[in-house]
Amino acid sequence: MTTTIEEILERKSHAVMRDPKLAHTHDIHESLLELEAKGEIILQRVPEPYAEVMTKYGRTKKIPFEHTWHHKSCGQCGHIPGYTSSIFWLNRQFKFDYLDPTDQTSCTGWNYYASATSNKSAQATVMARNFATAYQAGYYPLIHCGTSFGHYKEMRELIVHHKEVRDDVRRILDKLGKPLVIPEEIVHYSEWVHVMRNRFAERKVLDLSSITATVHPACHYHKVVAEDAIYDPDIYGGQRMATVTATLKALGINVADYSTWFDCCGFGFRHILVERDFTRSFAVQRKIETMKKEVNSDLVVTHDTGCVTTLDKSQFSGRAHNYKVGIPVLSDAQVTALALGAHPFRVVQFHWHSTDWRPFLEKLGIDWQKYWDEFQGDLEAIRAGTKSGVTWADADQPVSYR
Amino acid sequence: MPTTIENWNPGKSESRHPEVAYEVKERLFREARSDSRYHEYLYGCYECGICVSACPSARFYEYSPRVIAQAMAREDVERVYDIIAEDIWNCAQCFSCVRCPRQNNPGGLVTLLREVAVRNGLQETKDVLQGYSRVIYKVMLKGNQVSPDMLQPDLFNDWGPWVQQFSANMPIWKKAIPVDSIRGVTDAAWKVDRKTLLELYTIWFETGSLEIIKEVDEGLHDLLVDIMQEELEEG
Amino acid sequence: MSSEKILIIGGGPAGLEAARSIADLGGDAVLVEKRERLGGTPDSEGYAKLTHHWLDASEVLGKLAAAVTSGKGVDVKTKSEVKKISGSAGSFKVEIDASGKAESLEVGAVVVATGFQHFDPGRATQYYNYYSFPDVITLTDLEKMLKENKVVRPSDGQTPKKIAFIQCVGSRDRQVGNEYCSKVCCGVASKQAVELREQISDSKVFIFYIDMRMYGYWEPQIYWQAQEKYNVNYVKGVISEVLQKGNQLLIRGEDTTMSRPMEVTMDLVVLSVGMEPSAGTRSVAQLLGVQQNKYGFIEAGGATGIDPVGTSQAGIFVAGAASGPSDLDDSFAQGGLAAARALASVRRVIA
Repeated sequence: MTTTIEEILERKSHAVMRDPKLAHTHDIHESLLELEAKGEIILQRVPEPYAEVMTKYGRTKKIPFEHTWHHKSCGQCGHIPGYTSSIFWLNRQFKFDYLDPTDQTSCTGWNYYASATSNKSAQATVMARNFATAYQAGYYPLIHCGTSFGHYKEMRELIVHHKEVRDDVRRILDKLGKPLVIPEEIVHYSEWVHVMRNRFAERKVLDLSSITATVHPACHYHKVVAEDAIYDPDIYGGQRMATVTATLKALGINVADYSTWFDCCGFGFRHILVERDFTRSFAVQRKIETMKKEVNSDLVVTHDTGCVTTLDKSQFSGRAHNYKVGIPVLSDAQVTALALGAHPFRVVQFHWHSTDWRPFLEKLGIDWQKYWDEFQGDLEAIRAGTKSGVTWADADQPVSYR
Repeated sequence: MPTTIENWNPGKSESRHPEVAYEVKERLFREARSDSRYHEYLYGCYECGICVSACPSARFYEYSPRVIAQAMAREDVERVYDIIAEDIWNCAQCFSCVRCPRQNNPGGLVTLLREVAVRNGLQETKDVLQGYSRVIYKVMLKGNQVSPDMLQPDLFNDWGPWVQQFSANMPIWKKAIPVDSIRGVTDAAWKVDRKTLLELYTIWFETGSLEIIKEVDEGLHDLLVDIMQEELEEG
Repeated sequence: MSSEKILIIGGGPAGLEAARSIADLGGDAVLVEKRERLGGTPDSEGYAKLTHHWLDASEVLGKLAAAVTSGKGVDVKTKSEVKKISGSAGSFKVEIDASGKAESLEVGAVVVATGFQHFDPGRATQYYNYYSFPDVITLTDLEKMLKENKVVRPSDGQTPKKIAFIQCVGSRDRQVGNEYCSKVCCGVASKQAVELREQISDSKVFIFYIDMRMYGYWEPQIYWQAQEKYNVNYVKGVISEVLQKGNQLLIRGEDTTMSRPMEVTMDLVVLSVGMEPSAGTRSVAQLLGVQQNKYGFIEAGGATGIDPVGTSQAGIFVAGAASGPSDLDDSFAQGGLAAARALASVRRVIA
């Protein structure tokens, strides 16, 4: 005979399986197929092999494993190159076929959200030019940046639902000799990491069970066109995005919740450059301090350019003003690469991070000084002219942390 | 014009910018209102306050996405002008407000209003974007945005002593990155082919993006047009 | 072969009222109910007090059910479901699964009273974390505890002192799809707020709302009482997030009167979940071939467009929450009206 409380708790313990038939949003794939049938667009299919994941309202989304065209992040390549090199390193560990293009432009979303010195046709055409270029190369676009991902989801809606924008984009692409291509799915790299997470876990060389991490979900990943993000009944009962959290759990990291999980990091696009007191307040007071006080996590993990930069770089001023800060920040790809034995400096590129990462590596029992000396050796050789730079030949081999 | 019993409109605000003619304010309002995205960004508003609750800027500034949605919905031309002049640059464009149960997009309304402000070269907007022109320059010309050589210590000293260390070592650190497209590149985030840049310049010209910049920073515009036209002529 | 029998599908308030009315008017009804018991959702969810003068729900439903089972004129079949139906007004052929046995019936008219189900808070647009945090509950969870006069936090069994209600969960929401107002949640939440104030004397109770729907006599009886006698705090501004902070809950919203964002801790959060068509309403609508509206409820209006119990099919009537959010008065009134219409329909055909 169960009590009322037991009945209530029992009802609350069932994971929610969303019924896609009840989804109120129109399925964009239907519109894309219609446009393809009318000859208005080329619909680039997700190449095999791919995995299927569930999105917010129970629909499925295809995530390719390889043959990807890496749509890089302008923020990260500029400031946290470990974000980018970790993604490539992971692809290379599995010998996946990929392209690192030099005919890619930034999505220019950062500028658009910062200053609006653009218009919908320009933004849509910049996206379409990148997609057409990937298609012409025979590869499928994989979007590195959270802002790009959200921005492109928005642009996809614009092109599909606004004929005048679509026609304008096509007119300009014609001048460039490119077709109007929309990929079947817009895929974020953290979704690729998500579907690969168990295969990554199999190749772990580090024991991460002593690490508690707090996840920061990128606004542009899950709030813009909210339907299109990965949800999983095993992660928060399907109530919050599963991306990043599922990956960390697969790697054996403890993921802790905190009361400002849904807050923006404060990047603000323009604010982080020219109005940084706003950014700092958010990053330090709403996010890092809350994590420190409530959970005292060892690591913050996120999956966007701007978020890593904001949360990492803002902590110095926080410390200077006696806020409780000091948690290193990494992307999910960086943590995963580290777990699989990526060199901390040649691949994960820790030295570009401002918040002290030494205690984190020490907690994992990693003799970071040894690897720093190796890396200094690389730099010496570059200065001496005996080496032009650090290449994949130097970085591919996983280090053994034994 | 001062409010009297004859001209008071319920739901419409007293003007905070009487120096600007009403006709100008109305034209700006109509411009935003007639954007083809408007009807997807604003349905109706029952003032539930969810957008304000989710908004980071509402916690830091005197700023309310709810007020923006209401002012637009009520066609409160005076209030909308005040918002364009004073509030729109506070938005962090995080789109947390898209949680709206009516499916409004106050952040999207801000985008439309910003585009109107920029296109019309409003002084407050020019002032706000003044420190930002380096980024516009980089974006338009390089197809990237903030590049490593823009992280100058004096501009980012609140990021700590790390910036000094970074600045001193950046060129060599950049050579120590195994990613082929970014190794050694310091004036952009990654290497971009010339052909791609020419395609980008074509997009800017064809979509009128440079005309937009002319309103915000004429000097910058002229410089960009010169460089781009020259490059396109060279082919 | 035409028949004067009337089939009533669903033994909740609307179905019971229809059955009783048909019997009272000398008609012949068959009542088919899926559950073992009569009473519908108010019974299955254990409603405690009704908003009508705080009457006891079990007593009211008990009397209603007794009037149907004790009198003549209604053949009550519980643990039974309609499996198939064919024919037209005056002459329908129905196949039922009656407690495991297959049965065939001939009826002249049908009254659909298959009711509603509560909105699943997992589908809410806002982040209420119902499935993550034990102390976030729904109106029906709270109703069970109020019935026993033992309201506690499910997490630790402690008596909550600060309790918040969040209105319009799953209603008035374009992103969920349930654009309509569910009608009863404002009255029910206020009733529960008053009961909490009575049961826990040092409690502080808050209701976060968009609009307060206080139709007719609810205004003085429930709303004014709650504010004036029981000090229930009504805040205009609905909550967007419920988070965990220590062993309390942290709720975030805007206090629109003060025009600023607010964050406050609570011991217990109650979600005022709205109404949706029940699984039975959806499947029976398909079986009968009656039109559903875009929310899945049975489209009412009938031939004139303003008949609350008329459907798209002649001879088939709808009563209660099967056609849209209804309170008990709606269910009783429509049950009675559907009974009258159904009887008129079968008697006219024969006469």
